Amino acid sequence: MKPKTKKRVTVLIFLLPWIITFFVFELYPLLYSLFVSFTKYSGLNPQTTFIGLENYARAFQDEVFIKSVLNTLIFVAGTLPFTIAIAILIAILLNHLNLKFNGLFKAGFFLPSMISMVVISMIWIYMYSGTGFFNTVLHFFGFAVEERSWLANQNTALGSIMIMDVWASFGYYMILIYAGLQNIPYSVYEAARIDGAKPIQIAFKITIPMIRPTLFFVIALNTIRSFQIFTEVFTMTNGGPRNSTETIVHYLYRVSFRNYEMGYGSAIAYILLAIIMTITLIQKRALRSDYL
Amino acid sequence: MKTKKTFIAKLNIFILTVLLILSLIPLALTVITSIVPEGDLFNITKEVELSDFELPPFFLTKKIFPIESEKFDTVDGDNNSGKVLQLDTKDCVTGIMVNIGDVDLNKIKEFTFSLNTSQKIKTFYLGFKDVQGMQEFLPAELTYVSGKWNNAIVHVNADKYVVVDKEHLNFVGLKFEFENNEKILIDNVTLRYKFPTLWNYKNVLQQNDFARYMLNSAIVSACHVFGNLIFCSMAAYVFARKKFRGKEVLFAIVLSSMMIPLQVKIIPIFKLMQFLGWIDTLYALIAPGVVTSFGIFFMRQYIEQIPFELDQSAYVDGANDFKIFTKIIMPLSTPALAVLAINTFVASWNDLYMPLILTSSNNTRTVQVGLATFNRMHQVAWPELMAASSVAGIPIIIIFLIFQKKIISGMVEGAVKY
Repeated sequence: MKPKTKKRVTVLIFLLPWIITFFVFELYPLLYSLFVSFTKYSGLNPQTTFIGLENYARAFQDEVFIKSVLNTLIFVAGTLPFTIAIAILIAILLNHLNLKFNGLFKAGFFLPSMISMVVISMIWIYMYSGTGFFNTVLHFFGFAVEERSWLANQNTALGSIMIMDVWASFGYYMILIYAGLQNIPYSVYEAARIDGAKPIQIAFKITIPMIRPTLFFVIALNTIRSFQIFTEVFTMTNGGPRNSTETIVHYLYRVSFRNYEMGYGSAIAYILLAIIMTITLIQKRALRSDYL
Repeated sequence: MKTKKTFIAKLNIFILTVLLILSLIPLALTVITSIVPEGDLFNITKEVELSDFELPPFFLTKKIFPIESEKFDTVDGDNNSGKVLQLDTKDCVTGIMVNIGDVDLNKIKEFTFSLNTSQKIKTFYLGFKDVQGMQEFLPAELTYVSGKWNNAIVHVNADKYVVVDKEHLNFVGLKFEFENNEKILIDNVTLRYKFPTLWNYKNVLQQNDFARYMLNSAIVSACHVFGNLIFCSMAAYVFARKKFRGKEVLFAIVLSSMMIPLQVKIIPIFKLMQFLGWIDTLYALIAPGVVTSFGIFFMRQYIEQIPFELDQSAYVDGANDFKIFTKIIMPLSTPALAVLAINTFVASWNDLYMPLILTSSNNTRTVQVGLATFNRMHQVAWPELMAASSVAGIPIIIIFLIFQKKIISGMVEGAVKY
């Protein structure tokens, strides 16, 4: 064998497991689901009829789908600022604390974001229940409480899931921001202090600008993750009451695997992909412009 | 100036501690609730008064049945607690069956009741009747002094009962054998639960197949971990060390395939698994996750840092790529491999979406699906639900506590460089 051929064969062998998985579980599904999105396809019945853009047109007239897009947007817009603000606050507090407890605090705040969303949802179902933690505490302080779960009320269900999500995810972003803060050299602070800068000035003129790339990254990551919210909705409310917690991915699941309308489901999946890609591109651009 | 600084530091620790406690409340609630026998955390049912016999006779007959005699009477007691139950004795035997709803025998610590009888009890029997109607009476030790209105306590030894369905008991029976036929008076029959109890965990693991779910999750996660360690490193080695045409394009594909949400690919994957006949098998869960783009990306970062001279000197000594990979690159990458293993395990253990769609029976469900569907069946059994949640969460918490430094550093590296 020629050395060049031999090298090619080696490269191929080393890449083979990935290439196979890539074709079977990445590329083929991506293309096939694009094809399916232009057909009427039930999943149970092997027959597919090509119907062009009808599935996409249907999505924009489907009230539940529109509701689910709105709910997802509310979810993203409502959780993101709080998650990031709490994460920044704790990261800054931790950064100023140089003790041996540092690791303990870091681990403690990070712990919830390690636990699976199903477990977290169960815990919060319990806390939101009629006789659960929140109602008991509110009752103790003399508030009138309803005897039913917060998740059973269509005015509070989505908000409840959002509060839970902030709790469940801030630790993860806190760790990332903390790592960003640790990269700022101490001499920069020292110099600012010698020049007479006040703590507030240091925070807004030095700390925030220097961790801006990290912040952009964290915001991008959080946005993409939030757009794919599914587990919380599936375990806690199943989209109800009255579709008040229906989100894009949960609706996609309902359409594809409950109603077996896989053609329509694929169209929704592609709409989701388009939304996520658009947001990623916008954020990427924002990120890049910051570097230049 | 110095006092001001220490004050700020103290305030800092104080704020952080308060926030940390607040943030850990949900987890603490879960663990505490999982050892409660019945009810929930703010309403722990330690004791249930089964009957104080104040109900009108018509309602009482629905909840209480006399043993060995056709009827019973409630009379005004002289113990300042309203009505008491008077039982006739027939052939020196008497007793009552009292409704306890649907109770698990293993969670019961003891029964107590007030008893007024002038004669000595020859034998006392404690019995149960399950939802199917099976009955079982066994002699039990009664802590009691004969005389007027004494509190009697009988401890429950759940292991002795074999005939009745211990998990679903309907009635408890108190049966007395005397020397003579004489009337006795009973009041305030009360059930006391064990608290704290680990029985919820046992129930969840045995009855609800959680042990099976855990095993499934462990198998799938282990396969994902080993697959990622080997296959991702292999691909990463090539991307880090070899020069070949199309390398940049291929690596761009690796990066961009990390961005594609799983939801877009799930329908064809489902169809493919159907075609392969893998629906509802563990293969369907294992196959898509044995190589991940993240793993390749992460390992490449690390392998690039390993000095290239090591490879070259090995090459000069006659080692081929497989030797270099297995004898040099892999051993030197141990720190990164450890991080990748932990991250893969956690991600795989916590995943719900894939197993939810690709499995349907108890034998293949993972613990996340088991827990998510458990909720639908047991909406109000909070202690059991919390025990199930703990079971699903504990492996991750243990791993986190052991490897927290690796997990955090791996996550930061993976994210920041990306």
